[in-house]
Amino acid sequence: MKKNTKIIISVVAVLAVICLLFVAYKLLSPKTSQGSKAITIEVTDNNAQTKTYELKTDAEFLSQAMDELAKAGDFSYEGTNGDYGLYITAVNGVTADYDADGAYWSIYVNGEYGSYGADSQPVADGDKFGFVYEVYAQ
Amino acid sequence: MRFMHSNMSIETPDQAEKKSFTDSGLGKKKIFTAADIAVIGMMAALLEVVKVALQSIPNVELVTLLIIVFTLYLGPKSLIAVWGFVGMECAVYGLGLWTIMYIYVWPLLVVITCLMRKYKSQWPFVTLAAMFGLFFGAMCSIPYFFMGGPATALAWWVAGIPFDILHGITNFVGAAILFTPLTKALNRIKQSTGLFG
Repeated sequence: MKKNTKIIISVVAVLAVICLLFVAYKLLSPKTSQGSKAITIEVTDNNAQTKTYELKTDAEFLSQAMDELAKAGDFSYEGTNGDYGLYITAVNGVTADYDADGAYWSIYVNGEYGSYGADSQPVADGDKFGFVYEVYAQ
Repeated sequence: MRFMHSNMSIETPDQAEKKSFTDSGLGKKKIFTAADIAVIGMMAALLEVVKVALQSIPNVELVTLLIIVFTLYLGPKSLIAVWGFVGMECAVYGLGLWTIMYIYVWPLLVVITCLMRKYKSQWPFVTLAAMFGLFFGAMCSIPYFFMGGPATALAWWVAGIPFDILHGITNFVGAAILFTPLTKALNRIKQSTGLFG
């Protein structure tokens, strides 16, 4: 095989895979919808006390809805931005310190354990989100 | 281990030297010669140094290319160097989920390279380096499949696709530029020292 042919095959193969990955990314990325959405946020703290918030929002991602809720008062959160997005460290003043006792704030989406961080979790009308203080049992 | 035993003996051209390296008191041939151990140690160290040197530039790395090139000269013995590299990474950064990924991802590259050893042109290997970058996220998402199920693994993989594409492109460019100079340098070492069989 001529050298040029090899280069062309190589480049074409790589470009083909890049296109496939791009299409997969476009199709499979979390979708968001715009407009007014009614959502529920439930916070379950370290004493298993649950506080429920209902709000209407245009937020695309959960963290934006949380910011709106925080602005309205009666809700607060703290987090750090790491390699995997927003990592929530405290909700309503209750800090979960994983290094100290294995505690963390987990996110539930419609009763299921969430797959995304709050800043990449899409918000849809009627969604029910939960922040639950959990402790990793060794 | 039978596979490694049958394939991993290295023979230097210098017979007298080979005898002193490989013959034990019982006359059995050793799997690893002293020269192998030195070369594997150097290779593991070089992988770590090159990784650290480039880690400030996201998605640009030469570890893939170096593992491919070393495997072409050292064969399956590179596995030991690769695991040595993973061990050093653990020593520097501590254990994490990525440890599990590294334990199988890099050795997989050694295995694929071994299967491609018959190719003489650089382009199959440049393509391999690019593909390895493009599918790096997909390969690394496997632990998430077992931890959180297919949805978690898929979400993790998809979120990283832009980085994988960048990783594939930089691997392609890096390998296209550096594969030939690296193999030339190793050929020179091979000729002047008799290493790499």
